[in-house]
Amino acid sequence: MDRRDFLKTAAAGAVSALAAPNLARAAGSSVLRFIPQANLANLDPIWTTQYVVRNGALLIWDMLYGVNEKLEPQPQMVESHDVSADFKTWTFKLRPGLKFHDGEPVRSKDVVASIARWMVRDATMGQVIKKRLDALEAVDDRVFRFRLNAPYSKMLFALGKSSTPCLFIMPERIAATDPFKQISEYVGSGPMRFMKDQWVPGAKAIFERFADYAPRAEKANWLSGGKRVNFDRIEWNIVPDGATAAAALENGEVDWWETPLPDLVPLLKKHANVAVDIADPLGNIGSFRINHLHPPFNDVRARQAIQIALSQEDYMGAVVGSDETLWKTIPGYFTPDTPLYSEVGGERLKGKRDYELAKKLLAEAGYKGEPIVLLVATDVSITKAQGDVTADLLKRIGMNVEYTALDWGTVGQRRAKKEPPAQGGWNIFHTWHAGADCVNPAPYIALNAGGDTAWFGWPKSDLVQEKIDAWYAASDLAGEKKAIDELNKAAMDHVVYVPTGFFKGYQAWRTNVSGIVKAPFPVFWDVTKT
Amino acid sequence: MFAYIVRRILATVPVVLLVALFVFSLLYLAPGDPAAIIAGDQASPADVDRIRESLGLDRPFLVRFFDWFFHVIGGDLGVSIFTNLPVSHMIAQRIEPTVSLMLLTLTLSLSCAIPMGVIAAWKHGTIIDRAVMMTAVFGFSTPSFVIGYLLAYLFALQLDWLPVQGFTSISVGLIPFLRNLILPATALGLVFMALIARITRATMLDVLSQDYVRTAKAKGVGQRGVLFVHALKNAAVPIVTIVGIGFATLIGGAIVTESVFAIPGLGRLTVDAILRRDYPVIQGVVLMFSFIYVLVNLGVDLLYTVFDPRIRY
Amino acid sequence: MSATTVPPGYTAAPVLPEILPTPKERGRIMGFINRHPTIVVGGVLVALMVLIAILAPYLGTKDPTALAPAKRTRPPSELYWFGTDMLGRDVYSRVLYGARVSLTVGFSVACCAGIIGTTIGLVSGFTRRIDAIVMRAMDGLMSIPQILLAIALMALTRASVQNVIIAISITETPRVCRLVRGVVLSLREQPYVEAAIASGTRVPVIIWKHILPNTLAPLMVQATFICASAMITEATLSFIGAGTPPIIPSWGNIMAEGRALWQVKPYIVFFPAIFLSITVLAVNLLGDGLRDALDPRLAKRL
Repeated sequence: MDRRDFLKTAAAGAVSALAAPNLARAAGSSVLRFIPQANLANLDPIWTTQYVVRNGALLIWDMLYGVNEKLEPQPQMVESHDVSADFKTWTFKLRPGLKFHDGEPVRSKDVVASIARWMVRDATMGQVIKKRLDALEAVDDRVFRFRLNAPYSKMLFALGKSSTPCLFIMPERIAATDPFKQISEYVGSGPMRFMKDQWVPGAKAIFERFADYAPRAEKANWLSGGKRVNFDRIEWNIVPDGATAAAALENGEVDWWETPLPDLVPLLKKHANVAVDIADPLGNIGSFRINHLHPPFNDVRARQAIQIALSQEDYMGAVVGSDETLWKTIPGYFTPDTPLYSEVGGERLKGKRDYELAKKLLAEAGYKGEPIVLLVATDVSITKAQGDVTADLLKRIGMNVEYTALDWGTVGQRRAKKEPPAQGGWNIFHTWHAGADCVNPAPYIALNAGGDTAWFGWPKSDLVQEKIDAWYAASDLAGEKKAIDELNKAAMDHVVYVPTGFFKGYQAWRTNVSGIVKAPFPVFWDVTKT
Repeated sequence: MFAYIVRRILATVPVVLLVALFVFSLLYLAPGDPAAIIAGDQASPADVDRIRESLGLDRPFLVRFFDWFFHVIGGDLGVSIFTNLPVSHMIAQRIEPTVSLMLLTLTLSLSCAIPMGVIAAWKHGTIIDRAVMMTAVFGFSTPSFVIGYLLAYLFALQLDWLPVQGFTSISVGLIPFLRNLILPATALGLVFMALIARITRATMLDVLSQDYVRTAKAKGVGQRGVLFVHALKNAAVPIVTIVGIGFATLIGGAIVTESVFAIPGLGRLTVDAILRRDYPVIQGVVLMFSFIYVLVNLGVDLLYTVFDPRIRY
Repeated sequence: MSATTVPPGYTAAPVLPEILPTPKERGRIMGFINRHPTIVVGGVLVALMVLIAILAPYLGTKDPTALAPAKRTRPPSELYWFGTDMLGRDVYSRVLYGARVSLTVGFSVACCAGIIGTTIGLVSGFTRRIDAIVMRAMDGLMSIPQILLAIALMALTRASVQNVIIAISITETPRVCRLVRGVVLSLREQPYVEAAIASGTRVPVIIWKHILPNTLAPLMVQATFICASAMITEATLSFIGAGTPPIIPSWGNIMAEGRALWQVKPYIVFFPAIFLSITVLAVNLLGDGLRDALDPRLAKRL
């Protein structure tokens, strides 16, 4: 190399070095940087039911049906279906041209294997189908069929349900994994591919556009219609500190934050380049979960004492903050502003809070100052805020609170214990339910009152179970409404659990991003950035 | 010398083993169930049991320990319960941010603290000394996350000079790398700086009162010469020692700093793993930390010979 | 009382009781202050914090745990001197009561780690056989980053102030142990100790008469630093969510809970941070002063 060549090379190098930032900026418009609600620690949406995993999975895997904003299932991978008059034989045909990320076409046998794995893990609907199943077969490469021994009319809801676990279609070799073991390959047929080698669990997850994805022709609506992603790359940045996430959005280091802290929203709203809106119109219902097995709460009077004293305003203020547009009190169990919402039987939750009456009821139930074990997951802000309010409430009605501060994982373990509170059991813990799961009794596992088969707390009320069956049997909306009114009253009287209020969350994004919709999950299709 | 190094490394084996056993039994006794977290809110107890079984968490303590232990000897740290990725891979991904943060912190704090300590010792008893020491004590007495928020507010949000969070690999470029790291390194370094400044001042005071320094002064060696050549060299041993010991403090501080500035480092990996009970990851990280600690202190011991030729091994 | 005439409407000035120091004593006190200003400043501040902690209920505070979500995140005002937090609790009351928790943690850890560390250090310094084992175990403990160890210990047990104290004490013990052992080893070689051993004096007597008095000074200094660092560690543990149970107000907890809002409601973090800083500062000053006063040469060893 002589000197002139060297100089030339050097000059070229300098030019390319100077140009590099511009190139980076050009690529930047095709990258969406997103802060998800929680850490994406794994990506098996059947094995785990965390919402954040479902949200990531929605990019990678496609579904047979997808719900629209009215939660109606619309065909997604399916082209057409056929059902026998007795609702026992369901035949589905896949639309043509579906491809997995490894280039293989999507075949019926992949679907059958995926359904088989999902059915084992989906307690609300999958297991119901499994119980009635005579055969699930791949007729040919594009057609598959369910043959049931009892009618099941809610098949499309089951295949398209958006509550976890959703039915994601995976290649047969992956779907063959034991449902209780984690998959290790993330190959789907969805609009984005997961870049496993760039994944840093707890920090970063990268999705890149799948060039061969064939979106449906219809306009996208939540999980239905054509999923057209306008980005080559979607980056999920996990920011564990809420204050830091807010600062990053203000500073333009990220484009979209799924769950901004309500208290920081006024700050974000003031910022010219940040837009803020409600994230999920269906919101969440806070839960004061009572253990029905042990005194004093094995006596219905003690549980009703809680209803009489509990102030949903206090809980909502602590959970969501001062912004009253974000929450409302609900003297009922079902999601407000949905067809089946009912307030029948919720009188004890309304009006002035009566601590004296609550004390009297507790005395009648035989409470004599025994310690009440309250499990509080202090690493999850919603449960911690509820726990703090409860500790204060119980003190006011003369109860002796044993505030047990734990992390969420330990609460998950401890709440499964049926032993008396003094021997490692519990009396109360808090959680919340997504409003989308509380629109009717089918996905609403927390409202079940079947004793041993019920959710943690093990409420047992034959009347409640009877009313749930009545809803399943109802043939029209009027019938469903009547059943729900009676169910709401029965559950309120029995105090299956105590709702602590209905609340919504915000989402925030940079104003150069548009097309973000309100939904119970982040919808990435049709979002654009300038 | 070589024999000494070998001996020292061999001597670390029981330490690391002890740490491993200690942490393992600690975690074994700890409540909390990764299976419950994985299964999620809607799972039935039977499902949770199945998951626990498939993760091998239902086996007795000793079986689990020796199973893990023999794998580690074979160079296999196991697979994370949650991510299904090899622990060694997860650690490797996160080493760069943490090591960068620590090195930058060390550089920053040493380059500020040693001059501070020297000046304070030189001007012993004056207002300058007091001022320097008060600053140092302040650095000591404020939690690093409070400092971190203040720095981010000032330099990122108000002045808009630096990014709030994140990490850029040095392979992308030195400038973006430094821009991301300078605030966290300062937040973390303040405590360390305070510590080193104090030690430097104390040892310098001690050294300055020694005969040979007085002799050097009498011989007409200039002030700077006395301070930086004669005195500082002799004060180096305790300073290096404290850097070695302080390394453990640094790791602890890194956990908080990494959370505040969203740096994808080992500290956050560890906290996440502990809160979720991801046993293989906790094991692997703690093992690695204690190994690094032992190595750093070995390095410190070897540095002694550089600063003080009287020390031989 | 003398018969000084007092104009009507005035009362005689009371004669000052004899509690004020005599000029000579006053001179001695002033001399002490001049010689050890850090001890005085540190000591007074620490005493003030202790007083605040003890008198918390009488300093115009309300119930520090009483919720009032309707009055949440109020800025400092006449009614709420330091404002209210996310759950409407009075930050002023919480900070004052928080002094109790933080000081308890600091002092208890200093005592626990001091006593346990000294015992282990003495034993291992005097018994060659177990020395190696004990010191390897201490090395092992020290090689686990302190915060990590504390988090793991907290995960092991239920969150409570007591467990926070135990967890931090365990992580601080090796430092004390090493210090004491070092002093023992150096003293063992001293002629008077060797003479005592040779003359058949029993070990406990030697420890009591010769060793302990000599360890006391470095130990006290070390204890003050441990006390200061324990309070910071408590705050850090709370930050991570593995510290004092949230229902108990400690400075660490108040800051940890308010930290998400530092951009909008800085005072929730600011006030406990100031109190914590002042206290840690005071304890550190006290330690520095003690070191200078007790043994100027100690500086080298710490």
